[in-house]
Amino acid sequence: MAEAPDDEFSPETFSGTFESNIQPFFVLHKALARKVEKKAPAASAGKARRKIDLSPAKLRHCEGIEGGCGDGENERCMERLRMEAFDSVWSKIESTIQDVLKKFNVNLFDDIFQWVCESFEAINVCQTSRHVKANRSYPIITDAASKKISIGLVLTKNLDFVDDLLTFRDLGVHLKSHGCHVANLSSLDFSAKAGIGGCLKIMLRQFLMISSDAADISVLAAWYSEQGLSKPMVIIIDDMERCCGSVLADFILTLSEWVLKLPIVLVVGVSTTIDSARKLLPSNVLQYFSPSKFMLGSPAEKMDAIVEAVLVKQCSGFNIDYKVAAFMRSYFLRQDGTLTSFIRALKIACVQHFSRQLISKGLSTLFLVEDTLGMPFDMRSPLPEAMLKNKVVERTGEKFSHALAESTRRKNYWSSVLLCLHEAGKSDNIQLLDLFCEALDPEFHKFVASDKNTNLERELGAKMSSDYCVYPQSFKKNGFIRQAVNSVRDLHETQLSQILENWERHTADLDEINEKVKELRSIISDEGKGSLQESINASRRITSRSNLNMGKETANEKAASLIKSLVREYMRPFEELHCFENADNLQSALIGDPRRQIQVDLLDVQKILKCNCCSKKGTILLPTMHDTSILYTLAQEHGDLINLHDWYHSFKTIINPVVNEKNKKKKSGTPKKRKARDEEPASISEATIQARFCRAVTELQITGLLRMPSKRRPDYLQRVAFGL
Amino acid sequence: MSADGMDDYEEEEFGFSRNYFLAKELGGSRKKSANKLSDIDVVDEQELRAAAAEIEGKHEKEIKRLLAEYRSSYSYWLFELRCGFGLLMYGFGSKKALLEDFASAALLEYSVVVINGYLQTVNLKQVVITLAELLWEQLKAKRKTASGNLNKVQQPFSSRTMDDLLAFLNGTHADEKDDFICVLIHNIDGPGLRDSETQQYLARIASCTHIRVVASIDHINAPLLWDKKMVHTQFNWCWYHVPTYSPYKVEGIFFPMVLAHGGAAQATKTAALVLQSLTPNAQSVFKVLAEHQLAHPDEEGMPVNDLYTVCRERFLVSSQVTLNSHLTEFKDHELIKTRRDSDGRDCLHVPLTADALEKLINDINL
Repeated sequence: MAEAPDDEFSPETFSGTFESNIQPFFVLHKALARKVEKKAPAASAGKARRKIDLSPAKLRHCEGIEGGCGDGENERCMERLRMEAFDSVWSKIESTIQDVLKKFNVNLFDDIFQWVCESFEAINVCQTSRHVKANRSYPIITDAASKKISIGLVLTKNLDFVDDLLTFRDLGVHLKSHGCHVANLSSLDFSAKAGIGGCLKIMLRQFLMISSDAADISVLAAWYSEQGLSKPMVIIIDDMERCCGSVLADFILTLSEWVLKLPIVLVVGVSTTIDSARKLLPSNVLQYFSPSKFMLGSPAEKMDAIVEAVLVKQCSGFNIDYKVAAFMRSYFLRQDGTLTSFIRALKIACVQHFSRQLISKGLSTLFLVEDTLGMPFDMRSPLPEAMLKNKVVERTGEKFSHALAESTRRKNYWSSVLLCLHEAGKSDNIQLLDLFCEALDPEFHKFVASDKNTNLERELGAKMSSDYCVYPQSFKKNGFIRQAVNSVRDLHETQLSQILENWERHTADLDEINEKVKELRSIISDEGKGSLQESINASRRITSRSNLNMGKETANEKAASLIKSLVREYMRPFEELHCFENADNLQSALIGDPRRQIQVDLLDVQKILKCNCCSKKGTILLPTMHDTSILYTLAQEHGDLINLHDWYHSFKTIINPVVNEKNKKKKSGTPKKRKARDEEPASISEATIQARFCRAVTELQITGLLRMPSKRRPDYLQRVAFGL
Repeated sequence: MSADGMDDYEEEEFGFSRNYFLAKELGGSRKKSANKLSDIDVVDEQELRAAAAEIEGKHEKEIKRLLAEYRSSYSYWLFELRCGFGLLMYGFGSKKALLEDFASAALLEYSVVVINGYLQTVNLKQVVITLAELLWEQLKAKRKTASGNLNKVQQPFSSRTMDDLLAFLNGTHADEKDDFICVLIHNIDGPGLRDSETQQYLARIASCTHIRVVASIDHINAPLLWDKKMVHTQFNWCWYHVPTYSPYKVEGIFFPMVLAHGGAAQATKTAALVLQSLTPNAQSVFKVLAEHQLAHPDEEGMPVNDLYTVCRERFLVSSQVTLNSHLTEFKDHELIKTRRDSDGRDCLHVPLTADALEKLINDINL
């Protein structure tokens, strides 16, 4: 459906502009005017309408198109639907993520704002006491105390500054909304090349909203006095350690000279430790520091919050299956480790889902999810048959929505139990993503399903040892779920009651579980009181302690068996109606591996080209093969250095075997080989062979697989990549 | 790896990693081949270039089929562009034609600007000005009647700063997110774009709301050009492995041919030409020097005084002044070079390998 018209590939389309382009850049074509007219009305509607508009009229239009009009129109219609479906889902995910991050940072942002206000007040107090001086065009300050500049060091706890770029941008927005003048500078602005002038210019640009060529801070002072001198000015620098130290030092010195006239407060991100400023900046700058410390939440907490909101709870109706989840987890843990890349991976998954899977599946499920989630949707039934060809969807709407409601219900249970597990595992630093992946694992499902009956009896007499039977071998050592369940046993009383409270919160909408949790809570609190009472009454300390321990143990044990039974009951496999499954596609879009792939391209040409002429003989090099491929395969036989002469001759032998027929006959006289040789023109001129050799070397050089001969060693090329 | 030929400093530079890999790959030691490039009977460079221009393609049918297969992905590519991603194409073979075909087939609704990164220099400022002008035109055509910030263009784009231009491209001019200009960058890792400043600018261009980038890379280390910020928040790449096996015709134009350039054969030829234009006496002086060098390959060269003595004995020069004039001539044509030996004497030597030197002497029939 999604494929472009599969017409015969015409060489003209490829060679059209091929030779003519030696200019650095050119306009290939301008946007067709047609588009502008056509899209304009859609544009006005597009933004306002977040939901997919599958109004019957529109569908009929699409049906009509499919029936009568050409494929192109139909394709266009489909494309639009896909895009709208994606927009609808992704905008939900995106706003969910934004909300989560906002919630995550709000306290810190408030603290920073508070501190900014205090610093501003302090400067003002200082300023009024030196009113006369400050009124001069250039505020001459002599004592160091009044040159102090307030610096908020925000510890990001994260060496990957990418994740915090957004945080600092949000901080800027937050402070702006509270009435500060804000400039967001990046560490790149403090480069040695641009110098102090560069960062001052960028700062002026951000405050004044116009660009000026002069990096003159007095312009800023004039502007600030125009603004009424009433608001604090905040400069945010995302990562101090990436700045050029001397430029940053100059910048801070300049600001400190002006601090009475320009009440600037600095907020600076620090990714390592608080004393990194001491390493970066000289002491004559540090003496003007009046630092304060702020802490960002840890990246792991942020990750948990986002996984909870986006993947565990249903915020959009977009799901991923085990393979994708496992891939994303390993991508996060091993490959990149940034939240930004994780979200990006999710977005690519979402894009691929809507662009590649059948439109029917995507759209129908989407709207039904919306339906069951109780959101308004104007297209309940009839289903758009023209669009929704999938068999699943062809059932009656009622039946389907029933099935979906059931699925949603089960998913809700599943999510709640998972969150409960996460609460339990928090004390052991178990990440939600780990639990999430494990819970999706089909192996785990298999286990839960098979385990359900056999273990109920054992469960009755559950003791510490029993859970070794509960989990099969594979979950024994590494199982996060098991670990989380176990950690419940070791909790302190207060921790336990806290967890139970959280469990109650997570299961608030699910009466069945909620009842059980409440029950357990009341039992435990009774027991707690009882044991407390006992302890008061008891004359000997030893007795009371043992009683307390007894009580604690049973309470913990009860909680553990509750969560265990919940896992067994509600974490059963369920058919995701609508989820993204293609982990391979996602991986290839996310992680390009040119170093490996380009070599594979060269060594395994036949696999990709699938030609008849070369494929038959496996590893033997044939003259019909791609020149560069022959040459690179030959290069594998050399060590780090390739003797140009030898290499050339072996290349020549391969592509022009006639010359060496006598030698060759002894070695490989297979009929195929001879045949291939016969097909080759009897003599290739020396010049051609050399030219082909040269071109192949150049191509290898373009790919970076070779270093050219150096003056010192003119007969040798150097290999760069060894092994895949 | 056994220690053969460990005399070069380059050996040290790559020693560790190379030894590791070779030990893994080859298992044992291996004799280095002593064959010389000069043994290849290299044809004339012009002839070589002419032959290179006429090389017949292999597997043209299969390549065509491969490209046609990629055509079926165009709609996905377009979808991803529209969703805000950049496309990064890699894999062996020139992707120039593929990208331009994609643009001509699927991106007709958008303006497309092509940057040829394989060229030696690309002026990015000019590119950005063009982009801004295109966007301006596009927006103007779109809402002739609409009011807003479009009406005022204070100054022409060509006189604005890069920051202003980028701000314009990154503005929220249209209601529709689908209103973008596509920048097609052939070889974003090419020589003209490879430095980090240019890459930073490219990243900033790519992150603009009204710009989408489709780029190709060919170098195996290209991803090292970008940090995480650029990859995740600015370029926002979606990778595609699209080997084409098409020849790097345009991309390879500026690469010297390995057999034609810098090789001993070429150096010998040049030297022979120069020598033939000199007087017989001068040629003889050169021969003295060359013979000494061949006889004493381990020495730094021939001390000037020794050369003078020998030349005087053979009646090639009458005075130091005459010798000096010959030497100046040689130096000007880079036939000889001077270096100090361990005793601090100035020594002369011919910057050619022994084989090339021998060949040279034979060639000029001294």
